[in-house]
Amino acid sequence: MIRICFLLLSIVLFTTNQASAADKLLNGIDANFPPFAFIDKTGQPSGFDVEAMNWIAEDMGVEVSHQPIEWDGIITSLLTKKIDIIASGMSITAQRAKQVNFTLPYWIIKNVFVVKKDSPLTVDTLLKGKKVIGVQQGTSEAKWLKEQITAQHFNYELKYYNSSPLAVEDLLNGRIDAAAMNDAPAMDAAGKKAVQVLGSIGMPQEDFGYAVRKEDSELLDRVNTSLKKLMASPHWEVLKNKYELNK
Amino acid sequence: MPSSISTVIDALPYLMSGFFNTAAIVLAAMFFGLLLGVNIAVGLVYGNRILRFFLGLYVWFFRGVPVLVLLFLFYFGLFPYLNLPFNALVSVSLVLGMTTGAYQANIFKGAILALPHGQFNAASALGMSHFQTIRTIILPQALRLSVPAWSNEYSIILKDSALAFVIGAPEIMARTQFVASRTYQHLPLYIVAGLLYFLLTWLGVAALRYFEQRVQIPGYSHHGLQ
Amino acid sequence: MTTDMPPILQIDNLYKSFDNATILKGVSLRLHQGEIKVLIGPSGSGKSTLLQCINCLTYPDEGEILLDGRVVDRTSKISLCRLRQEVGMIFQDFNLFDHLTALNNITIPLRKVKKIGRREAEKRARLELEQVGLADKTELYPAQLSGGQKQRVAMARALAMDPKALLLDEPTSALDPELIGEVIAVIKNLAARGMTMLMATHQISLIATLANEILFMEQGSIVEQGHPSVLLAPGSNSKSQGFCDRLNELSDGKR
Repeated sequence: MIRICFLLLSIVLFTTNQASAADKLLNGIDANFPPFAFIDKTGQPSGFDVEAMNWIAEDMGVEVSHQPIEWDGIITSLLTKKIDIIASGMSITAQRAKQVNFTLPYWIIKNVFVVKKDSPLTVDTLLKGKKVIGVQQGTSEAKWLKEQITAQHFNYELKYYNSSPLAVEDLLNGRIDAAAMNDAPAMDAAGKKAVQVLGSIGMPQEDFGYAVRKEDSELLDRVNTSLKKLMASPHWEVLKNKYELNK
Repeated sequence: MPSSISTVIDALPYLMSGFFNTAAIVLAAMFFGLLLGVNIAVGLVYGNRILRFFLGLYVWFFRGVPVLVLLFLFYFGLFPYLNLPFNALVSVSLVLGMTTGAYQANIFKGAILALPHGQFNAASALGMSHFQTIRTIILPQALRLSVPAWSNEYSIILKDSALAFVIGAPEIMARTQFVASRTYQHLPLYIVAGLLYFLLTWLGVAALRYFEQRVQIPGYSHHGLQ
Repeated sequence: MTTDMPPILQIDNLYKSFDNATILKGVSLRLHQGEIKVLIGPSGSGKSTLLQCINCLTYPDEGEILLDGRVVDRTSKISLCRLRQEVGMIFQDFNLFDHLTALNNITIPLRKVKKIGRREAEKRARLELEQVGLADKTELYPAQLSGGQKQRVAMARALAMDPKALLLDEPTSALDPELIGEVIAVIKNLAARGMTMLMATHQISLIATLANEILFMEQGSIVEQGHPSVLLAPGSNSKSQGFCDRLNELSDGKR
């Protein structure tokens, strides 16, 4: 009996996957971030960033697989080599750039408020009317909103969520007055639930970039080369249309 | 709402593979915990003071720190530091295994101590070594006494396995979340997730109850000690 | 008595204390082959402790135990194992292995300690159970047996190890009166076959009819010893006589 157990244990341990064999790329994604990264009906990772990454990997001549990771720990996962790259709607910020290197920017992102469909609320009321705003933990908009409370004397209360869809859900439940998130997933939510996009939260716009470890300079170069190619190719428009990012 | 039902039906295969991953995590953790727990219990009952001290420390640590903290500690901290390439599934199984090992150690220790001391004496008087006595006389009886408590531990570990989603293990909770994020059908999906956990609990407890009956000592009253 | 052969068991000056209470105060005795010695005395006099010290279930604080004339090294596992194979023990509470059948209670020690193969062990086990009159109970578990049957299985188990001597610690004290007879019968049978025994008991019939020597213990020492025909003779006024009279009164009272 003991022998069977040891056998089981060793089987389990040896089917561990190693991050980064030389020609395999592991992409970490926040699978709760449609349309950039999510799990589709068939249970496969999908989304704008996932498909872009697939194209880039093919161009680079490597295999890629996508691993859902909690957003809050995704940079740690990269640094501890559990994944090799983050292609999942990550904003380029100075703080993150201290820990990782970013590719060239591939998307401009604005942050917006999402409220219930027939809500009378305005952006102004949300910022100064003692409201409750929900936001995803670990995002750049979460950080900005927190800083603005003192910087601009706003008085909203922030509630943190694991993912923006959960914030939207709580918005519908009436627990928060608005959810703050990137515009693309906001549009995605507005298309699926009784919510509407109110407008920009006032944060300066940001760029998305892919993130790699600082020591992987060769990888960074190769990804950048392929990314440039992708953005110049017709496939880029195809992807934008597919995920309705042209609105 | 028909759309929610069709969403759930479409997502079922994906959720079911999460179901099997959860089952795998729990089974691996419980067996690892069994190995650990039995050995630690024997050490705690029959070992010398130094051994008992260190084993006691282990038990105290894993019972005292929340599983969530342990998951982060090992997955993001210790394993990378020691260069152990364990993925999320394996990490959860190991961490849960070590945790349940601590709880199981206490279960088995209690069961061993509940046995009449005469059992050990009789074996010694016949010339059996400590090791032989523990393996053939003490443990078979102690393990039988422990089945109900072990069954309880199983359902606890099953529920703790849901925490694995925070490190990205592809189990029921994580998968349900992914589908919910895409479809925004939180309520029906989480109901289904709950049902899947319930199903796993029920299956496990039923299996253990059957096992308990099969290994029961004839004539022994329930938890019967003369 | 063959006095040129060393005694099977020799106990020299055993001392044992528990928590500041001295239970055994310099007890010595010798047991030669074929002898049956009976320990009697009030409870708390140290009879059980003495027996447990002899096969080292409890370690004496001071004193020596000699098996066949050789000192037993209490620190050596091999030495202890040998001692316990040569000197069997019967407990007041039977101490059968509850998770094993009557048969396996005997085969497991045989296989583990004497390293006998399974078939041979089973054959021997059946033989021993037959000898104590339990041939049809081999597949039953202890919880399914009466007290008397349990004690008989315990005896079969001890005898299967081919011991040179048996220690019996109040073998009938935990039995209902109607069951005592079957166990006494087995003990008498053993005596008839020449088994060497050191027994602590309250049973008058065993004391009076089987003992070659009575050892009366009081507060940790042997205060009186002698042949029953001497000590229990009417009018001897020995302590043993007094003790047995009291036992008789009690058992009469039970009827």
